[in-house]
Amino acid sequence: MDNWVIVMMLSGSLFLGGIALFAFMWGVKNGQFDDEEKYLNATKFDTQEDLNDAIEKERKKEELRKKVYKPE
Amino acid sequence: MSNKINCSHCHLEFSKDVMIEDNEHYFCCNGCQGVFHLLSDEGLDSFYDKTADVKLSPPTEQYEDSANFNAPAFYDKFVKVNGDGFSEVSLIIEGIHCSACIWLNEKALDKMDGIIEANINFTNNKANIQWVDSVVKLSQIIDMIRAIGYNAYPYDASLQEVHANRERKDYYLRMAVAIFASMNIMWIAVAQYAGFFSGMTQELKTILNIAEGILATPVLFYSGWVFFRGSYYGIKNRVVNMDLLVATGASLTYIYSLYITIIEYGEAYFDSVSMIITFVLIGKFLEVISKKNAADTLDIIGKHLPSEVNIVRDEKIISVKLEDVSIGDTIVVSSGEKILFDGLIVKGDGSFDESSLTGESEPIYKQEGENVISGTISIDADIHFNATRDFEHSTLSNLVSLLESAINKKPKIEQLANKLSEHFSTVVLLLSIATFFVWWLWPHSFEESLMVSISVIVIACPCALGLATPVATLVGLNLGAKKGILFKEAAQLETMAKVDVLLVDKTGTLTVGKPEVVKETLYKSFDIRLLYSLVKSSNHPISKGIFNYLNQKDNVSNEIVFDEFTQISARGIVAKYNSHVVIGGNLQLMLDNNIKCSFISDETLFFFAIDNELVGVYELSDKVKDGAKELVLNLKEKGIETIMLTGDHDKSAQKIANEIGIENFNSELSPQDKLSFVENLQKEEKVIVMVGDGVNDILALARADIGIVMGSGSDIAVDVSDVVLLNNSLESLLSAFKISNTTFKLIKQNFAISLVYNAITIPLAMSGYVIPLIAALSMSFSSLLVVGNSIRIKYKWKRG
Repeated sequence: MDNWVIVMMLSGSLFLGGIALFAFMWGVKNGQFDDEEKYLNATKFDTQEDLNDAIEKERKKEELRKKVYKPE
Repeated sequence: MSNKINCSHCHLEFSKDVMIEDNEHYFCCNGCQGVFHLLSDEGLDSFYDKTADVKLSPPTEQYEDSANFNAPAFYDKFVKVNGDGFSEVSLIIEGIHCSACIWLNEKALDKMDGIIEANINFTNNKANIQWVDSVVKLSQIIDMIRAIGYNAYPYDASLQEVHANRERKDYYLRMAVAIFASMNIMWIAVAQYAGFFSGMTQELKTILNIAEGILATPVLFYSGWVFFRGSYYGIKNRVVNMDLLVATGASLTYIYSLYITIIEYGEAYFDSVSMIITFVLIGKFLEVISKKNAADTLDIIGKHLPSEVNIVRDEKIISVKLEDVSIGDTIVVSSGEKILFDGLIVKGDGSFDESSLTGESEPIYKQEGENVISGTISIDADIHFNATRDFEHSTLSNLVSLLESAINKKPKIEQLANKLSEHFSTVVLLLSIATFFVWWLWPHSFEESLMVSISVIVIACPCALGLATPVATLVGLNLGAKKGILFKEAAQLETMAKVDVLLVDKTGTLTVGKPEVVKETLYKSFDIRLLYSLVKSSNHPISKGIFNYLNQKDNVSNEIVFDEFTQISARGIVAKYNSHVVIGGNLQLMLDNNIKCSFISDETLFFFAIDNELVGVYELSDKVKDGAKELVLNLKEKGIETIMLTGDHDKSAQKIANEIGIENFNSELSPQDKLSFVENLQKEEKVIVMVGDGVNDILALARADIGIVMGSGSDIAVDVSDVVLLNNSLESLLSAFKISNTTFKLIKQNFAISLVYNAITIPLAMSGYVIPLIAALSMSFSSLLVVGNSIRIKYKWKRG
């Protein structure tokens, strides 16, 4: 019985740690840490307006992608 | 005072009455006003909340036509089409002051139709922009950046840079996994070690083993992939390298530990697997970040050469590509331009800067009928000349191809680490195999023999060995950076410590490179402002020397405006002021004006006469930099020979050599002569350090084992060199030698530490006294010793 407690704790904490690791790796791959200055200043430009702009940008990108991609 | 006010756009302060008033806003210029309105029209005026009080530079409006950016040739060179079919360009943005500027540029570009992504790096102001070319053109993008008050120009994000960044990122990811897993394994291992001494059930042990095994798997196969790859290439080239030792050690240990976990007997070494890989990976990473991006030679040359030249055809001046100029074409060069062809002057005269050939900054006067040489620069000459050779065979392209071959032929001295690790790896692998057979034949069970032989590999862990060089060179690079010495590559520190001969350029390296006044002889007192104003308006090095001298001596505040002012090439200046004739120049000019002079000196002379009467003579000479003597003496003590190479005349070379105490010097050398001098020494297997500053040194700098350049040197010279002395002083050259010696000593010490460590622990492992705890401790401890030793040197250096 005791051993199961250890198994649960080990797997639980490794799972949580794993999530953090993957989040970090995703960030690195995505270029979020490429520019430390910008990364540190990002909080300054995190208003509602900026978030709306970001969504708008994603939408625009998707549209343009469709436009460029022409199925043969 | 109170009527000073900030411009609403750039925040620079001006007096209120010069500002443009506009709806309660004030602007310093139309440019700022334009940008301000544009931003509020676009709804981007929250930019001003973000800038706070940062001062921006007002927009300037003298750009070339942006339509040039749409030329196919331009697109070919800078614009790439990526996998999604989007166009992509790299730009450098000028005028960025704060993070709000980045925000503004990104927002303004994002709002444009057709732009997919605009990403600007704050640290280096480089931007990457993706767009759909059918919707918006590059010129419109650049116009937008200019419209909001910045400027952008494309640069060639060469493959090298992209590649280096990708490699670095790859290492980040691998290290993140390795460090994460190792740290977790360590706390599980603490439980293992505690259980080893106090006892625990086999069941619990297996649970911990499985957890460790799960963590060690990505470390071995993902993070450790670089070692498998490295050993594959090693085996292909028939070299036993450190990668092979790490890869075999880690994977054997891994397989053995899996086996232990399954049979539920004995000790698993998963912690050692991840620790070996993590430590050596960190060492490898340090090596990667301190590696120079091997310069793209074509790029170096390309960016210093214009691609077009003006020629006369059918009595019109047209610009044509360099390749299209044929022998006999008349080329037009105006003052300040670079000469790209060899030829014969047919019209005009003037002074030329031939420092790219001789290293001397003294202008050379040429007139009709004389030859001009490609690679030189016209200082004040507007000439027409006939090309006598096409571009491919010109002196300049000859220099370019020589430079390319010099860069390719640069010798690579094998690093101590590579030499050592090959032997070390072979010995350890052999010892481990021997241990296995001895134990097996000396009747022990198969498992036990295998365990002992694996523990030999684990304990002989190359962690400390792998860290020895990178940590030491990192310390060296840091020491250098603090003293204004930039080593472009870590390995150069080691090469430089092995130097036999120092070759040094004269002008600009040993000497200041600019003539300075050494003696002043006045015959009659005169208004010093006359001389001051006379020399101020000339760019000739002699005039500048006198100008600096006067500036230092007496502070002349108000200038005189001459009524008439003529510069006479290779003679001097004649000016008129209030019916006085003021003449300053060389002896020839004085004789031309029938002024009597009987002054004799070895130095360069500048005569000054008012109304045809000589009033003063200035003697100028190129001064030797501080510390030159000490440098030569110090190096002599270390057994390094110093040889001076110069393009200057024998007489002046002799003078400087005597002054400094250099025994060997060669004078009147062309750039090619310098190159062959280096090559001949290298044939004698000598390690050469070349120090220079000018275009005339680039061949030798590129070919020498280490090329050191003064920070004030020409751009090409800085590009081809390995070490840059930012403060141009000879003291820092000496420091560079000291730093490289210290670093090399440090590397040797670190190797000694790790080898001694292994000499103690390997016999222990062979006799079977090693348990996982000891293996792990020894690994960390030896690595700590190496790092600690390197830090010790850093502090020692700091104190004295």
